Amino acid sequence: MITRIFSRYRPRYVRSLIYMLQASEYGFRDYLAWYGRTKDFSTVEKRKQLIKTKKVYALYIFAYAIIIVTLASVYYAISFADSSSKIIILACAAILTPYLLAYVILAPLALIKLLQVPAEFVLMAQARKKLARYKGLKIAIAGSFGKTSMREILKTVLSENKKVASPPFSYNTPLGICKFVEGLNGLEDVLIFELGEYYPGDVAKLCKLIAPHIGIITGVNEAHLEKFGMLEKTARTIFELADYLKKKPVYINGENELARKNANRAMRNHIIYARSGAGDVSVESAKSDPSGTFLRLMIGNVQFNVKSKLLGLHNAGPLAVSAHIAHRLGFDMKRIKKGIEKTSAFPHRMEPREDKHGVITIDDSYNGNPDGVHAIIEFLSSLKGHRRFYVTPGLVEMGSRTKDVHIEIGQRLARAGIEKVILIRNSVTSYIEQGLKEAEYSGEILWFDDALLAFNALPHLTVKGDVVLLQNDWPDQYS
Amino acid sequence: MKEIAVIFGGKSVEHDVSTITAHIPIIEALLASNKCDVWPVYIAKDGSWYSNKKMNALAYFKQPDFEEQLAREKKVGLSFDKGLSLVWPGIIPKTVRIDVVFPSMHGTFGEDGSLMGLLRMAGVPYVGCDMASSAVAMDKVFTKQVLTQEGIPVTPFVWFTKKEWSDEQAGLLEKISKLHWPVFVKPAHLGSSIGITKVKNESELENAIEVALHYDDKVLVEESVENLIEVTLPIMGNDTLRLAEVERPLNKTELFDFTEKYMSGGKKGGGANSAYSQIPAEIGDELTATVKELGKETYRVLGCSGIARVDFLIDSKANKIYVNEVNTLPGSLYHHNWKKAGVSSMELVLGLVSLAEERFKEQEGLTHTFRSDILDKIGGPKISK
Repeated sequence: MITRIFSRYRPRYVRSLIYMLQASEYGFRDYLAWYGRTKDFSTVEKRKQLIKTKKVYALYIFAYAIIIVTLASVYYAISFADSSSKIIILACAAILTPYLLAYVILAPLALIKLLQVPAEFVLMAQARKKLARYKGLKIAIAGSFGKTSMREILKTVLSENKKVASPPFSYNTPLGICKFVEGLNGLEDVLIFELGEYYPGDVAKLCKLIAPHIGIITGVNEAHLEKFGMLEKTARTIFELADYLKKKPVYINGENELARKNANRAMRNHIIYARSGAGDVSVESAKSDPSGTFLRLMIGNVQFNVKSKLLGLHNAGPLAVSAHIAHRLGFDMKRIKKGIEKTSAFPHRMEPREDKHGVITIDDSYNGNPDGVHAIIEFLSSLKGHRRFYVTPGLVEMGSRTKDVHIEIGQRLARAGIEKVILIRNSVTSYIEQGLKEAEYSGEILWFDDALLAFNALPHLTVKGDVVLLQNDWPDQYS
Repeated sequence: MKEIAVIFGGKSVEHDVSTITAHIPIIEALLASNKCDVWPVYIAKDGSWYSNKKMNALAYFKQPDFEEQLAREKKVGLSFDKGLSLVWPGIIPKTVRIDVVFPSMHGTFGEDGSLMGLLRMAGVPYVGCDMASSAVAMDKVFTKQVLTQEGIPVTPFVWFTKKEWSDEQAGLLEKISKLHWPVFVKPAHLGSSIGITKVKNESELENAIEVALHYDDKVLVEESVENLIEVTLPIMGNDTLRLAEVERPLNKTELFDFTEKYMSGGKKGGGANSAYSQIPAEIGDELTATVKELGKETYRVLGCSGIARVDFLIDSKANKIYVNEVNTLPGSLYHHNWKKAGVSSMELVLGLVSLAEERFKEQEGLTHTFRSDILDKIGGPKISK
């Protein structure tokens, strides 16, 4: 209790505020929500550490300047007050300064944002112009989940016969995309963009910037629900891509309920894709194990067997989309097959590795959405002859659906017969436990106070042949 | 939470190996289980006892100023009042009652039954083999004698003490010359291959014996095995036994010496004995089955409990198997092997704690005293009231 109260008055407090601003990507809403929730500021940096950038140094200088100026002003002011009031004024100032600082520190950031508006406007106009002149094919991917996987699959398959470029990492905001467009030399045949959706209108704005020819909607779910408030709003935002494309082709994930329901918005030219195929590409006898996914693809009258190193049958749909687009671009079957064979796990997304003791760890720490979780549980349930560990801190930003989403995860884990479920203690994992119990889970639940303790314990818990799934990360701003 | 004391270090040539075993996997797995409070009890090379939770980190012992830090530590004492307690002296002494002791001391004083005797006297459950089996297993000569008596195959051998060597050297050399050469000369009580020499001719013999006598006052000279395949089998259990995989160390030289056993390979975090092994050993189903049977029989004959590792020598052409020796505290508990046999480090370590408690409970049921009037019958003056 005392530590909590005094945590605002330690020098580390300033660092914690700046760290959280950085962790929230200088987004005021996330930062303020965190500030409102947090009581103890002494242990804020858990998962990551403050990266010292110029912006961070500037904020440090500003914060300490504010503290010094405040205290100096108070000192000056009390020189006029009588002696009994002096102590009270000084004490009040000392007590209130940290509280004020948390808000005042936003002022220079707000100013920067304001000054950036015209610069961004010019940057976007330039990028829009460059993209409008661009002769190649532009593909835009929208959805609550699976965008990066779809982008990487397309990039790998289409690169077999075309020059393909896409923004690096998860650059999916207007500024990120503009930066990427700046570096293009115009020789690329295909550009692939992810469209980030945080608030209504985001996708429409990006569509106007990019002017895509083909759209892919990977699905709609509870990701970022805390920001959208309602799933319908999320769906409307994501389908802004279909609205923009009108009669141009839009691929829609038929395995996602909300995407399927909204599919009629995509006019007549939409193509529903699923693990059974996409358009005239059909998938047969698909199966998946820790080494990859095996498919029999039929394109028109031609059939061939192919193996991708991606894990999980949910990849069959996106792989079929890539084959469909490649086929439309004139790829022959050999190249399509070769391209699919080159697809493999992306960092931290169902990425398997086997250690020297024969324990297979699947790193799925970037998977933080319910559909991704369902896919991985489905994959784990199909594995025979392995003892399976599922390690999770739960999912963030599920808003009003938090309880239901986590209870369902627990139920699915129980039904899949996962032998060991490792839960990290926080505000949501008790719902997973509830779901497990409701579905009469017969395995073992192990609790850890933080993810690091669980990771350290894993080598002592596992044996040869075990499969350990590390699902999702729990960023500090949600602690 | 269960209070568990892990005792390691000690006045032994295997001091450092003991520190590794204590941490990898014992302390690490106990801490990771979240089920017990771990008290690291470190016995320094000078025999002083210390216990501080910062010693739960192996890194503590790797610090360059480790000795200086240790000198500033308060020594810990033991109290044997119906069980074992750790006592830190002071104006208000701090006392922690220990529920189970996990001995992690290789070699002299630790693995030879001394520590087990102390813990038996204290009346506290402890992990691993008891005093008698530890003492027999620690002495390579006793082991061979007991196993021979029970019909378990061992290689022919000659043994003698330091005094016998100085008094009857000629007779002993005569006896040794009758063995099938080359022979191994070994100190009777030392583990980790220290002081062992393979001798190919008589000119090397005396020197090898001198080396062995430098470490021990009892020496074993035994026949070597032709077409040798060495295998080892970790076993755990009291009455019902669980076997790990038969493992074949793939050593580079003819003899698996101390440096190779513990220091080569350098695989990070593997603890002792993690490098250069074939698990399971590719020796065929028949030999594997015989090794397992002989392993179980040896474990039973020596009265082992908790955990032990039985080492074998196989003549691969003649398909003959000999039991070489028994190790009552395998380095790092051979957790790398158990892992491949489907036992995680946590299951291994917690399983051993349960076995210790189980054995303690059974022994509590035994009667160790009985009422007698022998004192009354003995002559002498009586105390008048």
